[in-house]
Amino acid sequence: MERQEIIDGLLEVLKTIRTIDPARLVGVTEETDFLTDLNTPSTELINIAAKVEHKFGIEFDDDDIDHMGSKVKDIVDLIIAVKARGEE
Amino acid sequence: MTDEEKELLEIINNGNLVGVSPKKMLQHGPSKLFLDAYHWHSPNKGIVASYSPTEKNIEDHFGIFRGVDQVEAFAQATVVSCATFSECRKKNYIPDQLKDEFIPAFISIGQVNFHNYLEAGDRFVSLGNITFYKWRQMVCDGRIYKVPKNIDLDDYFKDFNEERLLKYDISKDFILVAELFDITGRAIKIELFKKEA
Repeated sequence: MERQEIIDGLLEVLKTIRTIDPARLVGVTEETDFLTDLNTPSTELINIAAKVEHKFGIEFDDDDIDHMGSKVKDIVDLIIAVKARGEE
Repeated sequence: MTDEEKELLEIINNGNLVGVSPKKMLQHGPSKLFLDAYHWHSPNKGIVASYSPTEKNIEDHFGIFRGVDQVEAFAQATVVSCATFSECRKKNYIPDQLKDEFIPAFISIGQVNFHNYLEAGDRFVSLGNITFYKWRQMVCDGRIYKVPKNIDLDDYFKDFNEERLLKYDISKDFILVAELFDITGRAIKIELFKKEA
């Protein structure tokens, strides 16, 4: 799965998050930060993680969530790593 | 491990919290523990636990148990107790082992509606319904009820079940004190907690 494909899927998830202003989702890049750029409440990250799991058919473990960064590239890297882990 | 710890581990792996002392489950010290006993517990669904405010709890607050302390008591009875139990079962731990790795912390509190008040010597139950549990984060909805002073809560809740919990199907003698929604807590790794503090 290509990085851009993952970002597109991630954007679809973010559009379903009530606390994120859709206008802020225009021009999202890998460097975009959920907390500072999208103004996402940190309490929402767990909800985003649960939706990302569902969207990409993967399963995060506790440590993945503990160490999950708040930039788009962090989530993309994590999705790729968890997918690879699932294929081992 | 002592025999007592082995017994607790056996309960955690195969039983539930009814009859277990909250002091064994929670890290809170005596002045901050707002939990006396567990009366019903279905590990993945919910719990019923009770507390009776002390004179110390209402000191300097015109004889009333504070609303924020009701939220804390509810959280201890439900989120902290159930998440500690489930995390211990997942890791084959006793709570003392969790204390070395995690700190229980509030993440967020949703809507809370207060309907009544509690005084020292009153007795109340927290009925908690688990709505989310993943990645060491638990969310509970529920209610607090004042109960008649002479009631045997172990006997009253011995036939309780998940269906009755969801409908709050309980005695008319129980007085609704508070409704609580989306009470969210998480066990945070101590090294991350210290980093963020």
